[in-house]
Amino acid sequence: MKHDWFLSQEAFDDLLDWLDQDREQAGVKYEEIRRRLIKIFTGRACVEAEDLADETINRVTSRLSEIKKGFTGDRARYFFGVANKVYMEYMRRKQPQPPPPSTTDSYQVELEYRCLEHCIESLSEENRYLLLKYYGAEGRSKVDQRKQLAEELGVAPNALRIRAYRIRLGLQECVEKCTERSEA
Amino acid sequence: MTPKLDKQEMRNYLLGSLEAERRAALEESILCDPGIYEELVVVEEELIDEYITNNLSPSERQQFETHFLITAERQKKLRFGRLLRRYLDSQPVFVSPDDIPAPVVRQDKIDAPATKFFSFATGSFARGATLTVSSAVVVILVILTLVCWRANRKPDTVQENSPNPIPYTLTPASLRSEDAGTQRVKAPPKGVNVRLNLEVTNTNFRNYRAGLFREKNFVQTADELKAEPNGEQRVVPWTIAGEVLSPGDYQIKLSGVAESGPDAFVDNYSFRVTKK
Repeated sequence: MKHDWFLSQEAFDDLLDWLDQDREQAGVKYEEIRRRLIKIFTGRACVEAEDLADETINRVTSRLSEIKKGFTGDRARYFFGVANKVYMEYMRRKQPQPPPPSTTDSYQVELEYRCLEHCIESLSEENRYLLLKYYGAEGRSKVDQRKQLAEELGVAPNALRIRAYRIRLGLQECVEKCTERSEA
Repeated sequence: MTPKLDKQEMRNYLLGSLEAERRAALEESILCDPGIYEELVVVEEELIDEYITNNLSPSERQQFETHFLITAERQKKLRFGRLLRRYLDSQPVFVSPDDIPAPVVRQDKIDAPATKFFSFATGSFARGATLTVSSAVVVILVILTLVCWRANRKPDTVQENSPNPIPYTLTPASLRSEDAGTQRVKAPPKGVNVRLNLEVTNTNFRNYRAGLFREKNFVQTADELKAEPNGEQRVVPWTIAGEVLSPGDYQIKLSGVAESGPDAFVDNYSFRVTKK
């Protein structure tokens, strides 16, 4: 491994070109690969999942001129092989301790709650309805309520799960931004 | 080639208990198959929700705490999940007529509404999707239902001549640490009341109103509760007839009665009643 190698703009541009000729699509693919690498390292209980994902991408980028010559097939798959090597090296190193569980600060919790209320209010009426109905269902009636909701919205149950998840993800991002703004 | 992966395998993967060969196959799919990745992140959220609502088995719960929660990102997700659950619990409860317990609705006096709306769920509780014409009709029906029920609720009344109530102090959801276990209350002997001391940090209200739910089904409510000191804490005590608390999972929603305007949601208290 080239330990003193840094990702230059030129090298990064080469990587994007390799991922896709269309620059916008290449950017999307890069983000997806990074996000998925993080998920893989997290799945292997690596505390520094983001750093390891970046290291994997850097290694691929640093060898790109060689890879380009012989590699054919799904480019994302190539990252998987490199990620395995990065992981093995990580296991040999002293592993960092996981972060301690976040403490409960009642002021912080209240601030986040107010932000959540604000973010939910700013959802479209349809998304708010879906969120409340989908996640509000609990206990034995949960499955039936979700099935009923899917029928009501005219979508398959699995499509509803994914839609609810996306709304929730957007909500979490909204709350994080709102909390940061309020603390600043 | 994408291997066939089911939801259970994804759960095992996230909990760190998937066998190595399947794990490698899943990880490759995470990188190369957008559908697998999306399914995985959805399963991840579902796992978080099941942890929050105590629906994981003891072994899954342990794996969740020792393996799943290892990264700061997932801890953030758990924190958000708790926040969202708190918000959802403060919302009106939608249940089907079949779920309404017998003492609450007298079928001979009123037709069962399609949706039950907790009577003090006004103001911030009633925001959002419930603001429809149909919900107004439901509110009226439920008020009528509660009036009927309150006139006939002898089984839930506190036993005036019972021995001293058994006290339990309940910590609100907003102050519970992430690794805290379920709060437990022992089902009392017949004729004995239970005094639930609800810890509060917001003591700006002259009166409080509480609603008791058993697995999302409304059980009973109490008005004009008052905060009082309990050592260094402030608590809102609520004495409940022992007969009401059969084994199961319960939740109390506490709201503050404002001088004017709608009630303000204060907090949730979850606990499990276990056998004597």
